[in-house]
Amino acid sequence: MKAYLDNNATTPVAPEVLEAMLPFLEESYGNPSSFHTFGSSVMPAVEKARESVARLIGASDPSTVFFTSGGTESDNWALRGSVLLDPSRKTVVTSAVEHPAVLETARVMEREGHPLRIAEVDGDGVIRMDSVSSLLDSSVAVLSVMAANNETGVLMPLPELSAAAKACGAVFHTDAVQAVGKVEIAVDRDGIDLLSLSAHKLHGPKGVGAMFIRSGLALPPLIVGGHQEKGRRSGTYNVPGIAGLGRAAELALEGMSGESRRLIALRVMLEKGILETCPGAEIVAAGAPRLPNTVTMLFRGVESEAILTLIDLQGISVSSGSACSTGSKDPSHVLMAMNVDRVCANSAIRFSLGRFNTEAEILYVLEELPKVIARLRKISPYT
Amino acid sequence: MWKYSEQLMDHFMNPRNVGVIENPDGHADVGSPVCGDAMTLDITVDDSDRIGEIKFRTFGCAGAIASASALTEMAKGLTLDEALAIKNKQIADFLGGMPEEKYHCSVMGHEALHAAIGDYRRRTGEVREAAASVSAATGDSSLRLVSAKPGSATFSTELEDPGLKERISLAMSTTLGRAVDITLERR
Repeated sequence: MKAYLDNNATTPVAPEVLEAMLPFLEESYGNPSSFHTFGSSVMPAVEKARESVARLIGASDPSTVFFTSGGTESDNWALRGSVLLDPSRKTVVTSAVEHPAVLETARVMEREGHPLRIAEVDGDGVIRMDSVSSLLDSSVAVLSVMAANNETGVLMPLPELSAAAKACGAVFHTDAVQAVGKVEIAVDRDGIDLLSLSAHKLHGPKGVGAMFIRSGLALPPLIVGGHQEKGRRSGTYNVPGIAGLGRAAELALEGMSGESRRLIALRVMLEKGILETCPGAEIVAAGAPRLPNTVTMLFRGVESEAILTLIDLQGISVSSGSACSTGSKDPSHVLMAMNVDRVCANSAIRFSLGRFNTEAEILYVLEELPKVIARLRKISPYT
Repeated sequence: MWKYSEQLMDHFMNPRNVGVIENPDGHADVGSPVCGDAMTLDITVDDSDRIGEIKFRTFGCAGAIASASALTEMAKGLTLDEALAIKNKQIADFLGGMPEEKYHCSVMGHEALHAAIGDYRRRTGEVREAAASVSAATGDSSLRLVSAKPGSATFSTELEDPGLKERISLAMSTTLGRAVDITLERR
């Protein structure tokens, strides 16, 4: 038996998505920017995908959606573009729990002369609006806060954040890579200026994503050298990828309410089962609104990479925010920002479910995980 | 997943010498505040200054657990000086190699061994120091210290005095602030 519970890292491509992609890898390989019919006849597929993505994120105007190579590119574009809009606004404000695609970009930009301010989160990992407000002023170019945290699944209050940014005249960007397709996103309603998304987190292919840019916001391009996407994002259209993203967006929208209920039921089953069978286990951000599919748990006294290594042998794929599994000595910056102590932060395991997970897989994890924890606890000096 | 050798995985899956020793001769409680890793190590030392029993507990990754297990296997039976000379590289070699990024994980075992031997030597030194003034305290000028450990001391004497052992015990525990087992030999 195997169980893949690392869907926040990436998801399997849905069969319908693969089917939608195949024609563009086979007979319809033309370049949609070409003059000839063979190529240009592919363009409607790109535009159809654009409409599907726009619908998924609540954008009434599909021309506000631009295809990119994925979430990281979109995040880089959002931050780097925003500071060029108004020469008097150079500062970037973001949160302490952002994905490195935002946080590292902001740090590099800081070294290049764009002041960086980092807003704090509370003990549940939710951004503190008082902290945000205290950092916003007329020098701020962009406020960038993720829609949902990749490690904890914690959802951030997008309407309040966009209102706060608007009040000080800054652009509001949200990295919605983990949220899109899992919870309702409404860019128009919530006043979002820029939004990043990625296909492979919603059962689409890797290497393709999109950026929503509010109509009228003249965000300068990050990648130049072609005329694609009205000159705002150059590079030959990744047509199979874009078609796949479009289909994945349709599937996510169609199934969202039912799928969300199903995932919550599975997640709660997993959480309860772990709490009952693994003494000392604890849910991270238990008090905050979270994504249906994500839970990080702490196994006090047992180190997370040791857990990963043992349960990997049982065919169970999960992840840890910690240290040792990536060769870095630092515990998860997300858990550190939440003031989780270091020993606990190094005992964190993230479970992230997806459309193809079944109850049988959850039961399998609940059978194997307690054995692993008990085994490691015997070796541990923390009792 | 890291590329771990078969030997390393074996020591991770079946760690040797796990646990604690009741009243050990040397004890260490070390941790890496950066990593959050932690380890305890207990040793006993025999009369020829060799490590007898050795037991550990570790909060750490597979590399840390396997290195600690390997180190205990390597150190068992060595003299204290030989054990102190074990290099991290030797631990890695013993385990059939280790990813370079994981080298820091093996450092903790090494630190624990040094700390446990240091603890043994420090507390043995205390016993020796206390023994130095016992002769005056007991009024037996023929009293000599034969051997000392953190929890015990052996003396020899030329006198035939049935109350002497008790007086030594009392003098030692008063000076040390803790009780030690006393053995008394006739010369």
